[in-house]
Amino acid sequence: MAARHRGSRMGHRMHLAVSLTIASVPGQASPTFGEIAAVVRNAEAAGVDMVVIPDSSVSGEPVVHPFEATTLLAALATVTSRIGLVAAASTVAHQPYNLARRFASLDIISHGRAGWNATMTQAPREAANFSRPEGFSSDDFHRRSQEYIDIVQGLWQGWDADALLFDKTGGRFHDPEKMHLLDHKGEFFSVRGPLNVARSPQDTPVLVLSGLQEPDMDIAARISDVILLDDEPAEGAKARYADLKRRVAACGCRPDAVKALTNISLTADDRLDAIAGRLAEQFQSNSCDGFNIQLPARLSALDDFVAVVVPELRRRGLFREAYRGTTLRSHLALAAGGDQ
Amino acid sequence: MTASRQMKLGAFLWATGHHIAAWRHPKAHVTAGIDIDHYIQLARTAEAAKFDMIFCEDAAGLREANVGIASQTSRSIGFEPISLLSALAVQTSRIGLVSTASTSYNEPYGLARTFLSLDHLSGGRAGWNLVTSASPIEAANFGATGLKPHADRYERAREFAEVVNRLWSGDAGSGHDGQSFSARDALDLPRSPQGAPVMVQAGASDVGRDLAARTADVVFTAAQTFEEARAFYDDLKGRMAAHGREPDDIKIMPGVAPVVAQTETEAREKFEELQALIPDDVGVALLSSYLSISDLWRYPIDGPLPELPESEGMKSRQALVVEQSRRDGLSIRQLARHFAGARGHWRIVGTAAQVADELQARFEGGAADGFNVMPSYFPGELDAFAALVVPELQRRGLFRQEYEGRTLRDHLGLKRPG
Repeated sequence: MAARHRGSRMGHRMHLAVSLTIASVPGQASPTFGEIAAVVRNAEAAGVDMVVIPDSSVSGEPVVHPFEATTLLAALATVTSRIGLVAAASTVAHQPYNLARRFASLDIISHGRAGWNATMTQAPREAANFSRPEGFSSDDFHRRSQEYIDIVQGLWQGWDADALLFDKTGGRFHDPEKMHLLDHKGEFFSVRGPLNVARSPQDTPVLVLSGLQEPDMDIAARISDVILLDDEPAEGAKARYADLKRRVAACGCRPDAVKALTNISLTADDRLDAIAGRLAEQFQSNSCDGFNIQLPARLSALDDFVAVVVPELRRRGLFREAYRGTTLRSHLALAAGGDQ
Repeated sequence: MTASRQMKLGAFLWATGHHIAAWRHPKAHVTAGIDIDHYIQLARTAEAAKFDMIFCEDAAGLREANVGIASQTSRSIGFEPISLLSALAVQTSRIGLVSTASTSYNEPYGLARTFLSLDHLSGGRAGWNLVTSASPIEAANFGATGLKPHADRYERAREFAEVVNRLWSGDAGSGHDGQSFSARDALDLPRSPQGAPVMVQAGASDVGRDLAARTADVVFTAAQTFEEARAFYDDLKGRMAAHGREPDDIKIMPGVAPVVAQTETEAREKFEELQALIPDDVGVALLSSYLSISDLWRYPIDGPLPELPESEGMKSRQALVVEQSRRDGLSIRQLARHFAGARGHWRIVGTAAQVADELQARFEGGAADGFNVMPSYFPGELDAFAALVVPELQRRGLFRQEYEGRTLRDHLGLKRPG
């Protein structure tokens, strides 16, 4: 492993995620699966760590989605081989057992490249479509989200990596000692487990948290693999980053066990050739481990980004030349990623 | 091609195979539950053979509570079917993709949205098999302390199906505010390429049949004998007029577990080879779960089936098992083996011509519109059905040579909903 946290960021490489923009306004043509697959393969050819597929609108604006995020992720997994695939899925829309299963399955379909983007902020209109017209109070939503994520991560660890024996002659398909009940009984949920999906090829799917407020940071430090943070002025961002790493260490983890990516929202007016310089400056000022690029609402903007910005970051030695491993955890240099 | 009526065929994909001991067979693909390429291959085999659809069963939990028993079967792990079918959607181009999902552990808005997304990914080839979930193992994963009574589950399912249909039709209007569910908005996805995903049901109890007569496009059933199959067929089609529907608006597709080979002797040997791989405790446990009783192992294995209380679980299937046991005078061991092999479905062991004869008799005798084929192990037995039985059915004009259209509704000859 490379030495961590020297005084400067010499030799440090940033992580790059790109949010996939697939929503359109009513009347506008939606992108086809083939079009989406083509831009994701381009991002893969450029070595981008992962694409993040957002789901339902939280703005209340009427938009049309061609596909729901987890189903799109499954399809993309079969036409890509290296890039990480992260889908947003709501803790209001799914039961924790079902969501844990879906992502465990996606992780096997993608051979260890899947991640779940959970948000700690309640989408204003969502609960009304899921038989809860009154929604959750902010406090309840907060405690419920924590409990929910704990359950999902617990279910993901229900089968040991060597639990499956496949012993035809001995008649032993799996080792019963290596399958574990969750037996969770909490304030909002009770889930017995275990999951009926095998252990992930990358130990567990990657957990990407967004929508975090300051009080969420201890939780985020304890449970997440990646956090997505909104951009803020340099001094504040540096302090926030240092604070996060202290909290991660306080949980008994190495500071680099959680990657903080800053959301960079590009508008149609931004000049792409200037973006690389801006990202380089922010990264080298110790304010993050990389970026989550949010592009204008036009699928081809992703092609432009990987054609212009990624090569420039690579020229500056700030982005790796190629994938070193095969799993999303290995791209992100997270523990249990296998070949790093 | 002839304009005469042709049968519909589903390829029911399940773990290493439908036979409980399938995974132990030397030619079974034992890592099926973690190998997406295996499923892609099966889907392409079924598509090349012009099957109407592939079908995935589902349970949101283990199949077997006894850990020792479970560890001797391959059924404790596998793919979650929505993600599996979404992956298969872009690796196939014509075959229908149908998955089970429970009305007890989902919300209609989320389920309608997910299946509609699968429908878009596949260009109009998705279907949803509605189940109400009878297993206490599943209930324990969703905070439920006990299984809800049969009638309550079906009332919830009825409302669930109504909301899903309205969302798919784009007619969400002012939203839904009902007994079990509320949903405010229309879906944020475009209308289905086939009008709406296909609605499949399998419950065979009285209340299940009424729900199917009202809302289903396809019904899967388990029927051992021609008489049972015919009685079910007539009863269900007879209930449809009350809901303003025509008999042909539902395709009834009983499950069939064929074991086919070049000769009858070879087929029998193949079947006996599988039967010999079933451990007694596994067979009895499987039978117990179909009967919804937990202590069948207390009774002498070579004795008759005991008298059973009426269950809140699978009413219709329980009746089927009990009837067969009494009719044939089977011991628990015999019954367990018999059911373990086909899970209570109809089994045919023989040559392609013999299998085709039996299918033809039920199809032409007014007992089926098609069949849901349950190969005993994968990939070998799906390959065998595709290579031997499908050409025989095509030769007889009983099955298509080419797909008639692009969507699952096209294949099944179903009306496009308005």
